[in-house]
Amino acid sequence: MNRGKMHFQGTAGLYAAAALLRLLLFAFFPGLPDLLTARVEISTPVTSFKRLQEGLFLYNHNVSPYDGGVYHQAPLLLPLFSLLPDPSAYPIFTYILYIIIDLLSAEALWKIAESGEASASRLFTSARKDRRWSGYIVAALFLFNPFTIATCMARPTNVFTTCAILHAIAKAIAGNPFTAMLALSFATYLSMYPILLLPPLVLLAYDRQYTSKRASSLPQFAGINAIVVAFCLSALFLGSYLLTGSWEFIASTYGIQLTLTDLTPNVGLWWYFFVEMFDSFRAFFLAVFWLHLSCYVGGLSIRIRSQPLAVLTILVGIFAIFKPYPSIADTTLFLAMVPLFRHVFPLMRYTFLSASTVLYSTFLGPAFYYLWIYAGSGNANFFYAITLVWSLGQSLLVSDLTFAMLRDEWEMERPEMVGKEIRQI
Amino acid sequence: MRHFFSYLIPLSILFWSAVAVTSDYYEQLNLKPLPQSNLLASFNFRSNTSLSQFEAHNFRYFPRSLGQILQHVGTRELHLRFSLGRWDAESWGARPWDGTKEGGTGVELWAWLEAETDEEADRKWLSLTNALSGLFCASLNFIDETRTTRPVMSFQPEGNHPNSTLANMQLLHGVLPREVVCTENLTPFLKLLPCKGKAGISTLLDGHKLFDASWQSMAIDIRPICANGEECVLQIEQAIDMVLDIERSKRPRDNPIPRPAPGHDLKCNSSKPYHSGDTCFPTDFVEGQDWALDQVFGKAIKGACPLSNSNIPPVCIQVPHSRDIYTTAGATEIKNPNGLSRCYQIPSDDGFSFILPHISREGEHGVTSVNDIVEPETPLLYAERSFTGHGYERGGVRTILTNPSLDTEVEFVYMESLPWFMRIYLHTLKTHIDGELRSSQDVIEEIYYRPALDRVRGTQLELRMRIPPASTVFLTYDFEKSILRYTEYPPDANRGFDVAAAVITILPSDSPDVPIERQKTSNLRTTTLLLSLPTPDFSMPYNVIIFTSTAIALAFGGLYNILIRRFVGADEAPQVSVGGLKGKILAGIIKLAEKLKGAKGKVE
Repeated sequence: MNRGKMHFQGTAGLYAAAALLRLLLFAFFPGLPDLLTARVEISTPVTSFKRLQEGLFLYNHNVSPYDGGVYHQAPLLLPLFSLLPDPSAYPIFTYILYIIIDLLSAEALWKIAESGEASASRLFTSARKDRRWSGYIVAALFLFNPFTIATCMARPTNVFTTCAILHAIAKAIAGNPFTAMLALSFATYLSMYPILLLPPLVLLAYDRQYTSKRASSLPQFAGINAIVVAFCLSALFLGSYLLTGSWEFIASTYGIQLTLTDLTPNVGLWWYFFVEMFDSFRAFFLAVFWLHLSCYVGGLSIRIRSQPLAVLTILVGIFAIFKPYPSIADTTLFLAMVPLFRHVFPLMRYTFLSASTVLYSTFLGPAFYYLWIYAGSGNANFFYAITLVWSLGQSLLVSDLTFAMLRDEWEMERPEMVGKEIRQI
Repeated sequence: MRHFFSYLIPLSILFWSAVAVTSDYYEQLNLKPLPQSNLLASFNFRSNTSLSQFEAHNFRYFPRSLGQILQHVGTRELHLRFSLGRWDAESWGARPWDGTKEGGTGVELWAWLEAETDEEADRKWLSLTNALSGLFCASLNFIDETRTTRPVMSFQPEGNHPNSTLANMQLLHGVLPREVVCTENLTPFLKLLPCKGKAGISTLLDGHKLFDASWQSMAIDIRPICANGEECVLQIEQAIDMVLDIERSKRPRDNPIPRPAPGHDLKCNSSKPYHSGDTCFPTDFVEGQDWALDQVFGKAIKGACPLSNSNIPPVCIQVPHSRDIYTTAGATEIKNPNGLSRCYQIPSDDGFSFILPHISREGEHGVTSVNDIVEPETPLLYAERSFTGHGYERGGVRTILTNPSLDTEVEFVYMESLPWFMRIYLHTLKTHIDGELRSSQDVIEEIYYRPALDRVRGTQLELRMRIPPASTVFLTYDFEKSILRYTEYPPDANRGFDVAAAVITILPSDSPDVPIERQKTSNLRTTTLLLSLPTPDFSMPYNVIIFTSTAIALAFGGLYNILIRRFVGADEAPQVSVGGLKGKILAGIIKLAEKLKGAKGKVE
């Protein structure tokens, strides 16, 4: 309790500054939110705020928003947003909601960082664990990341997913497996892909709970948590069914992620691939892409069993690259979790390369998109090429981080090899 | 006709005369000179057959080919339109037939089908479109489910239907805005006529003239008509309306290439201050209309159609009685008492044409309109629709609706059927009245909206609106352009996609003291729009598959290597041992690579 108070005093200034910065941006650049909402890099068909408004409009006028091709977001967002005043007339309430969500995410991140789980888990304690950043720095890096600010202003609905995932992790670390599973269910309900985070999250919750209670064996624990998630999800689906009066929201929200019927450009690899794909191979490659996305979960959970938080971070990074409708809002989540692993930064080999690739594509992406869509002097390949670079840069960062974590583990076994040149065989 | 049958036995005389009452045929050509040297020619052909005859497969004037299709799919009422061009309401005034016999650019089809369920209606609609496609040589079979709508407020049955069939009649409506209407559609159209274009006014119809017109619309309407106390008849009405540019039509056939007129033939506006022998401000269209029927249509009428009702004069022209018209011999002139039109009975065995001669005017007043044509009526509503915005990402639609009447408000239904790849945002739908600052949502009285589903159906938007007198309403909404799979683009994808015309149905006024033209339903259609979508690079599906797969393989392979392989110190790794010269070279290359890497890969 006392610690909580101190923590609040420490962060109040930070949170106030972050909120103030966002409010000032909203106040002094009134056109900026709509401009960013319209950017394909931030708003995807499954998260766009403009589509949410359309869904809300239809919902308020008793037309099923799922009987149409525009709204693909979770049904419970509709009553939530219809509680707020009309966003076009009183945008300030929406702004405040999104600022609060950002602060809540930062709060969860703070807790994760302060727990020290990243460098010292139950099964593994890094030799470099003293070289970590405090929660203050990690939260500040999240809150003042330009990507986070842009995401907050564009108001896509996956900030709710981000917040739910971070809270799930924070609760798992705090030793509340059931709250963690509830948060993960919310994230899954909103975006579907977070269900893939379940195995490492269960491991994390198990590890953290083990020290305090020593309750049950891992399979038993995993089974109970899976049942909790299944129960929460069924309750959410049932609530959505009662809300919309039919099951068609399932096909419209999750079906579109599985079948990719909306090919609006985004920063990911799927859209152009499936624009150009031959019709007879479409289903096959959809299956391959989804299989590829889910195949990392098992491998990483087994190989880096001792550091479940590292597995979660790497998975979040992979999803930000390879999920069907990625946006920089997903990258934001990954970049928020990377600073937790400050202690392995010296072991990374391609920091400069990946950072400059990401920066390069950040600046060139909008330019190439403009050339294609507005100027007409470029074609679709321009933007496609930049999304390839963006994905490669991010995947370089992910694999480099993985390498650093594994080397850190290996150096615990062989302390004499610190600083030596190594090879993998 | 009667003459021939009078030789038969009395019973059959009775029988045939009874048939002649219920199954008759008439045709009429209505010519109406329009301002700016244009001429509206409205051809109307109508024949009836009694329902009992029709159901007994006894087709007389009713085309058998069409009748069999209608019977097969249980069509109660059918409307088919082939249109080209744009009706210039600003200068040509109100539309012929109050716009009820025209369609949007391309092909438009709507029909009431007898069906218990939606699925049955869809099935019947599919076979109807396929059959009509073969009959009219048009791509009507491309009216698939994404182009089919079920209008709710816009269309009402025109015929008289008993209440028992009305209950399970389903209205389906489809448009093909990209279809180019041409000669191959006219030929089957003429084949449906009893005189098949060999006699009567239909001899004037010629693909070269019809499809050279500024605006043309071919219509087929089939509907049951039940007059009080008589047997119901099935009526087929075929209409062709065209606006001919007289100057263009008068060009001789053998020398059709337009050439600049020599200086002394130029018509100059002498009221300009700089008018002199060597400067000329050309005045088009101020000379009164002078033309001959065989001159604008390229040929004369080859006698009256012997099957048509002889009581109705086949040719009418709307010019004031003050103008003289000279006809070929044998025709009788019937003047309408209103002083603005006259009709002609034409001989059945001789050609017919007439000349509208040049009327001389006082030279100085070239611009003043002389009483040589009937002034066109003001339409009830002007409508104009266009795209706003630029780029391939998003755009907006703006429709400008003007009520020209100074004292009467106009109520209408505005219907859009948009393709699914144009994702409209209904929450951005706004109306505002020109000159008023407040956003006037009350202009729209009722909205029916059926959102599009990707690749399944298009958007259907129907708005019932009421516009106050003498005001202009701007109706705007935003949409997003989606990118399609590369196989879904038509050839020449960068031309864009045609968006069907909006259909405006002006509802009849409720109050009884309004003029007659406001007491019936009239229609109007905007032009079609050309929507350009973002296009992928069509030449590189293989490249994209390879590049993306490579990016994924790099990420997966890199991670897989890191996860699977064991770490060892660089000096502990087993040396690559391959014998011979090849092995030595390989080892050298590897050593070199290691050295290069060594500088870079050194870690803390």
